[in-house]
Amino acid sequence: MNDIEDKISFLKEKAKEMRFHILSMIYKAQSGHPGGSLSATDIVTALYFDVLNIRPDAPDWPDRDRFVLSKGHACPVWYAALALRGYFPLHVLDTLRQLESPLQGHPVQKKCPGIDATTGSLGIGFPQAVGMAIEGKLIDKKDYSVFCVLGDGELQEGSVWEACNAAHKYGLDNLVAIVDKNGLQNDGFTRDVMPMEPIEEKFRAFGWHVMEIDGHKMEEILPALYEARAYRGKPVCIIARTVKGRGVSFMENIRGWHGKPPSTEEYQQAIQEIKEGLK
Amino acid sequence: MRLEKASVPTRRAFSERLVEYGEINKDFVVFESDIGYSTYSYLFGEKYPARYFNFGIAEVSTMAAAAGVATSGRTVVVSGYGVFLTMRALEVVRSFICYPNLNVKILSSHGGVTAAIDGVTHQATEDVAFMSTIPNMKVLAPCDPVSASAMVDLAISTPGPVFTRLMRDALFEVYSDNTGFKIGGSNVLREGSDVTIAAYADMVFQALEAADRLQAQGISAEVIDMYSVKPFDEDSLRLSIEKTGALLVVENHQKRNGLGYMISNWLIKQRKNILFDNIGLDDTFAESGKYQLVIHKYGLDADAIEERTKKLLKDKE
Repeated sequence: MNDIEDKISFLKEKAKEMRFHILSMIYKAQSGHPGGSLSATDIVTALYFDVLNIRPDAPDWPDRDRFVLSKGHACPVWYAALALRGYFPLHVLDTLRQLESPLQGHPVQKKCPGIDATTGSLGIGFPQAVGMAIEGKLIDKKDYSVFCVLGDGELQEGSVWEACNAAHKYGLDNLVAIVDKNGLQNDGFTRDVMPMEPIEEKFRAFGWHVMEIDGHKMEEILPALYEARAYRGKPVCIIARTVKGRGVSFMENIRGWHGKPPSTEEYQQAIQEIKEGLK
Repeated sequence: MRLEKASVPTRRAFSERLVEYGEINKDFVVFESDIGYSTYSYLFGEKYPARYFNFGIAEVSTMAAAAGVATSGRTVVVSGYGVFLTMRALEVVRSFICYPNLNVKILSSHGGVTAAIDGVTHQATEDVAFMSTIPNMKVLAPCDPVSASAMVDLAISTPGPVFTRLMRDALFEVYSDNTGFKIGGSNVLREGSDVTIAAYADMVFQALEAADRLQAQGISAEVIDMYSVKPFDEDSLRLSIEKTGALLVVENHQKRNGLGYMISNWLIKQRKNILFDNIGLDDTFAESGKYQLVIHKYGLDADAIEERTKKLLKDKE
């Protein structure tokens, strides 16, 4: 096996662990957003266990790559990644959404190591990522990259497109936006609530370099992230086709699993399916 | 005290000082949303193009990008009109700047009805209420070019978010010296024994004018410049009202949830049995017109202060 194949099989195993912890913390808290966490799991796993240049023992290392989860409600996926990378002990995941916990209902900078930006209202994390990329490229002049995961429903916020303009104007080729295109939002399918297609053409029209991948295939995610980081001259957008609730049969592509915790029976079935891995 | 008409508005004085301060502190950057020629932030952009970012007509993402830069610890001054920065971008200010306590300084121009001629859409008459309500935010409101330039140094050197309320029109020269300003401070501009008039921003001049007229009628008014609106200077206020027993708070802002409301709440807790009144917009929008005429119509000028002070003191008898 060559190097990349090793990495991919390692990341697939990590993604299983990630899904297990996402489900467990939401089950224990009896509150949280499983659907959008599971759709973003493979992307966030690839970032935290391979792509990002970070130092978990020095969360504020100035040269680190930045990560912003603009769809902040999916923070269980972020918390799971940070815990598994050693930013804080795994047992802290059990405190999700509880008083005194660093794991607030939506992620908060300074309260939790590894969280670089406060997010949670849609359309605001992304312009913050643009600010971080401006800081890195134009003000502080460092080599780090900024990766930002957005939801496809989130693209309905006007501030996303303001930020797209700014990223293009300032030539932020250190910025990578990844759209977790699971096609579902709180009220239903995005195509019904507020259709945003063609998303690729919109980003291209805003002056971005655009790629499209299957957001659950490590074989596509990893090379795309490498290419995006190396790309020069324009900000890069990766449109990742995903499935909301991916990995748990009864959650997949079902509107109701946006922000609902599983029951005991559901949780047991879910972790059984996760062990078996993505099909 | 002799007042002379200022040569420049506070917004310009602030931006001119920003350019000077840019030499002293080379770390902060300035963000603008396409009104740099109105706020005079373009002066900073001309001097330091690499530290000036204009995001176009996009206040929400401008403010969020400022938060993004400030996550690194860097200070960002965001320049713009009060109405847009405090209302359109309010959620960003609250949740993404004040909550994580970032070093974002809001240089807010056209406060109160000073954008009078442009009408209500451009008048920031609730900005102090919004900004004062948010935890971690400090609110400053200079009354003249000298204090405005002092607020530049103060805002940038104070950790965390600071909102500085500037005015559209040229006001009067009150100070000759830009020292003696601090967060939570105030300045007694004129000593008196019958009544305390606490004012901020353009209302300071109106209060001084009224105090002159009252003096001629045998009423001695103490005038305090409450340039630090949040936190406000409780100690100086306490000293003054213990002496005068009467307080009139004057602001170019809605009365509701402005400085007057904050002070009246504080007074109740102090259990001070003093006479109190508050001048401001009385649950009404203003309208277009020349600044002087608008503040006269809505009872915010020296005429109103004079009349209300006399009414307040009548209750004393």
